[in-house]
Amino acid sequence: MLSIKNLHATVEGEEILKGINLEIKAGEVHAIMGPNGSGKSTLSQVLAGNETFTVTEGEVLLDGENLLDLATEERAREGIFLAFQYPVEIPGVSNMQFLRTAVNAQRHHRGEPEMNAAEFMKLARETSKQVDLDPSFLKRGVNEGFSGGEKKRNEILQALLLQPRLAILDETDSGLDIDALKVVADGVNALKSKDRAILMVTHYQRLLNHIVPDFVHVLAGGQIVKSGGRELALELEDRGYSWLGVNEETTAS
Amino acid sequence: MIAAPTLSSAFLDAPGQSLPSPLLKLREQRGKALVDMPLPTRKTENWKYSSRYLKLDEALAKTLPSAGKSGPGLAVAGYHVVFHNGVMVPEASDYPDIAGIEIKRFVDLDDDEARELAERLDNTLDSKAAQMARLNTARFEDGLLIRLQADAVLDQPLYIICETDASSAGTAYPRIYVDAGRHSQITLVEEHITSGSEPAMTNTVTEFALSEGAHVTSVRLSLDGDTVQHIGATGARLHANARFENHTVGFGGPLRRHDLQVRLEGPGAECRLNGVVVTQGKQHYDNHTTIEHVAPHCNSEETYRNIAADESHAIFNGRIHIHPDAQKSNANMSNKNLLLSTGAEIDTKPELEIYADDVKCAHGATVGQLNDESIFYLVSRGIGRQEARALLSMAFINELVEQIPVDSVKDTVQARLNRFFDQTFDEA
Repeated sequence: MLSIKNLHATVEGEEILKGINLEIKAGEVHAIMGPNGSGKSTLSQVLAGNETFTVTEGEVLLDGENLLDLATEERAREGIFLAFQYPVEIPGVSNMQFLRTAVNAQRHHRGEPEMNAAEFMKLARETSKQVDLDPSFLKRGVNEGFSGGEKKRNEILQALLLQPRLAILDETDSGLDIDALKVVADGVNALKSKDRAILMVTHYQRLLNHIVPDFVHVLAGGQIVKSGGRELALELEDRGYSWLGVNEETTAS
Repeated sequence: MIAAPTLSSAFLDAPGQSLPSPLLKLREQRGKALVDMPLPTRKTENWKYSSRYLKLDEALAKTLPSAGKSGPGLAVAGYHVVFHNGVMVPEASDYPDIAGIEIKRFVDLDDDEARELAERLDNTLDSKAAQMARLNTARFEDGLLIRLQADAVLDQPLYIICETDASSAGTAYPRIYVDAGRHSQITLVEEHITSGSEPAMTNTVTEFALSEGAHVTSVRLSLDGDTVQHIGATGARLHANARFENHTVGFGGPLRRHDLQVRLEGPGAECRLNGVVVTQGKQHYDNHTTIEHVAPHCNSEETYRNIAADESHAIFNGRIHIHPDAQKSNANMSNKNLLLSTGAEIDTKPELEIYADDVKCAHGATVGQLNDESIFYLVSRGIGRQEARALLSMAFINELVEQIPVDSVKDTVQARLNRFFDQTFDEA
């Protein structure tokens, strides 16, 4: 599915990713953990196509196709989805309009007919209940005045509607209380399928109690320094990162 | 030294048709006062950014002929009055006979009515600030007088369609006067459109006199064609507890100028002024607004948004003047601007003059560009880059479009804006 080879990326001339290698297969759930500033969010943003970051070396293949050649919107249409750590508020564009435009852009790309407003509204209302988001949120501006938890649920709602091939969740657990975490985790678990891969980026282990990963990787200083199974996350929870020779306070984000 | 250009005498050679004599006399007086009128230059403060777009060629001195016909596509459901080159077309108009509401052409007024009107025309406007409106008073050929008796309520919006027929070069001078009696209510939609494609001008003046407690809602749509220069002035004077609401929506052109002047002259009077302007290509649009807080305890709310694309130029000048007696005034003005291209220009100037000490006044003006983070968020969902920009641009003005109080006008505006953004963000 996704193959990352020797990926280097910089922001404003500073190198953040220093040679990432990662293989993710369909049906797998991967977790990337690491201290603040290790490059976790940068990796998510680079995969999604944020032009603030410059890829200087390496390649990323999505089912053999060079992902880095594609514009952000083309990556999304090919099935890359990023749940943002800080979802953007867009007053004046209703959530419903935003979601329908996104779904139809992707349907159009696949040569499928667009969904009309009534069809889509039905689907969106049902899906919003799945993430415990009152359908009234569909009428509001995109993320406008949403609480932290509501924003995260709105991200998962988008993932459920767009049905991506690879869902990247960037710190989706941050700022959530335990009930909200459960709702979000249920949404993510509903996404799991043999055709889909999930890449979770997280600082803490607690999300992994609800969404069990097949593989855990430790990212530090812009490189993956250790990979293992689920037990690696538990070990990190107990022992922190220092036993891996990783400094907890690095500078990049 | 080069002498400042003055108005060509050809503009003062007015035919003068079938108006009642008091109005003809008014026109003549005003015409005489315009001899050697200096034209705005870039040194004229209130035309500083716009004088270079104003082209008062002699060809425009001719008043556009009105054959008493109107172009196609004017079918409007509901009450409507059609002007063709400044002359009302009764056959194309349709409005009811409602007790307490008079809707009359200037040419049909008897001498007494005309004399009374002649005394009131121009009284809502500061002619120094809206100098080009004086030309309308010297040249109008017809006009519409709407008079609401006390407590009269027009049950539906009245559309006034002003068509400029630019089949030949020249100028049209539509004129509207609304006299809203005590506690009367009216919603008026003024729509400016064009047929033909010769260089032409429309010079239009609309005035509102609001008696105590009257409520007037006016919507002003400028949809003129791209060979037509548009100079418009709207004036309103409000007595105690009257409310005036104006929604201005404008699409750019070779020259677009609107002066809006509101005087709050009785305690408890209030106004809301909303404006949306979009410009593209090499288009221009200039809104100048003035709110005079003359009496105490009045409120004014003003929100204007401009979007300028390509190499276009949008201007907002908003003046709030709080007179010494206007204690307890409440005035809010906000002007936000969106530049869609580095070649576009926006000039904004809020002007506050406050001579009373117990007032609440707030104003803000910003000029910005589309937010990159918002664009990234939208395209990361598969939405095309240009569509994302169009969505965000629409979002910038959506709140004001939503407030347009007449649904059919809102629909027209939405459709026009969609077309505007399609052209601006053409993927090709």
